[in-house]
Amino acid sequence: MTLRLGRHTFADDRPLMMAIVNRTPDSFYDQGATWAEERAFERVHEVVEQGAEIVDIGGIKAAPGVEIDAAEEKDRVVSFVARVREAYPDVVISVDTWRAEVGEAVCAVGADLLNDAWGGHDPALAEVAARHDVALVCTHVGGVAPRTRPHRVDYDDVVADAIGHTVGEAERAVALGVARESVVIDPAHDFGKATRHSLEVTRRLDEMVATGWPVLVSLSNKDFVGETLDLPVGERLTGTLAATAVCAWHGARIYRVHQVAETRQVVDMVRSILGDRPPARAVRGLA
Amino acid sequence: MRVTRVVVLPAAPVLLPEHAGLTDPVPDLRTAARTALAPLAGHAVGLLAEPRWGERVGRHLLADAGVSAPGTGTWREADVVVVVGDGSARRGEKAPGHLDPRAHGWDERVEHALAHGDPATLAALDVQEGDELLAAGAGVLRELGTAVVAAGREVARADLSYAADPFGVRYWVASWDLGPDVS
Repeated sequence: MTLRLGRHTFADDRPLMMAIVNRTPDSFYDQGATWAEERAFERVHEVVEQGAEIVDIGGIKAAPGVEIDAAEEKDRVVSFVARVREAYPDVVISVDTWRAEVGEAVCAVGADLLNDAWGGHDPALAEVAARHDVALVCTHVGGVAPRTRPHRVDYDDVVADAIGHTVGEAERAVALGVARESVVIDPAHDFGKATRHSLEVTRRLDEMVATGWPVLVSLSNKDFVGETLDLPVGERLTGTLAATAVCAWHGARIYRVHQVAETRQVVDMVRSILGDRPPARAVRGLA
Repeated sequence: MRVTRVVVLPAAPVLLPEHAGLTDPVPDLRTAARTALAPLAGHAVGLLAEPRWGERVGRHLLADAGVSAPGTGTWREADVVVVVGDGSARRGEKAPGHLDPRAHGWDERVEHALAHGDPATLAALDVQEGDELLAAGAGVLRELGTAVVAAGREVARADLSYAADPFGVRYWVASWDLGPDVS
């Protein structure tokens, strides 16, 4: 199914890599490694070289912490988006924000995709996407407020809840004028979820894919991997890639990642096992 | 025998689209095969293929070159015979059949005969040795040599346009133009 992300169209079903670029001093994985604008810009260059189709620029870490108001968030991301837009016209620019005000500002300077990582907390964000004809990611966070940790969360059926919410948000976005081919859904691992919920969402991701909406997964180095394997942040790549393989098997379309090259290898391998991608080279046994 | 041209091609399944990877591991071989086959369009083509993969690979290469499907007859009915078979698969330690020290000598003999239009050498090939060397073309190349010798035809022009062993198997693309039938 054709996917259109702002000015970029992807006609086939090829999976896309969305590289995380933090303009934050305190995100959990990189601990501010790309807080300086030049470091963030170098990160963009690196992931584009590695073949990422999308960069996801964020100005606020997901976990609770010092409050960052909209003005500060805009200071962090808007001019940076403009700079990336000019330097990399072929890359899809996503901005990770829940605020319509920030969405408006980044779309004005060339963002292609609004990654509404807090599940539609600001209903006006979808209106911004519609007005600028950009794409929108609709996530499931179980109704929690932005930058809150899950606390004693419970679902009758977490997958049904995730599908119900994300598809509802997707249809709402389309009704507001976002192009149907520009809406993506994301179960949002860890967000509003205990580890078992994220594992179940992974195990049953095919049910989300079956809705027909393209599915984004954001698994990279998250706590559900860390808790499952009892490993700290810096040691979760293997577990992340195992979860990635399962999501690829179930048909996820976009992978939001810290490690572009490793994820691409896993996804390519799984697609070839599925029969959706020829091997890069096929000589063994055929000479 | 009304055959005026013979083309020799490898029987390598790596040439088949159903086995293709994202990149073609044998672009030069494929180009050489296309170039050798392209002039055959419109002629009555007979296929003399080694039994395992030869027919499948030969039919694919002919179709790929825009030549219509070959008939079943060869020496009697065809204008052109396409021989599908190749050299030894035991040309090195990484070759499919590992190394047999006789492999290079065998292939050199065949290769020289193909390059110089020497059907008598092909007619004298020891098919049992060829089988031992995993030379899939041994039988069909011997049949080619035997048929040309028996018909009393000379090779007016011989062209070996490809000869290499990228994966430890010797591949050839060769064309012969046969002189007039004087029998």
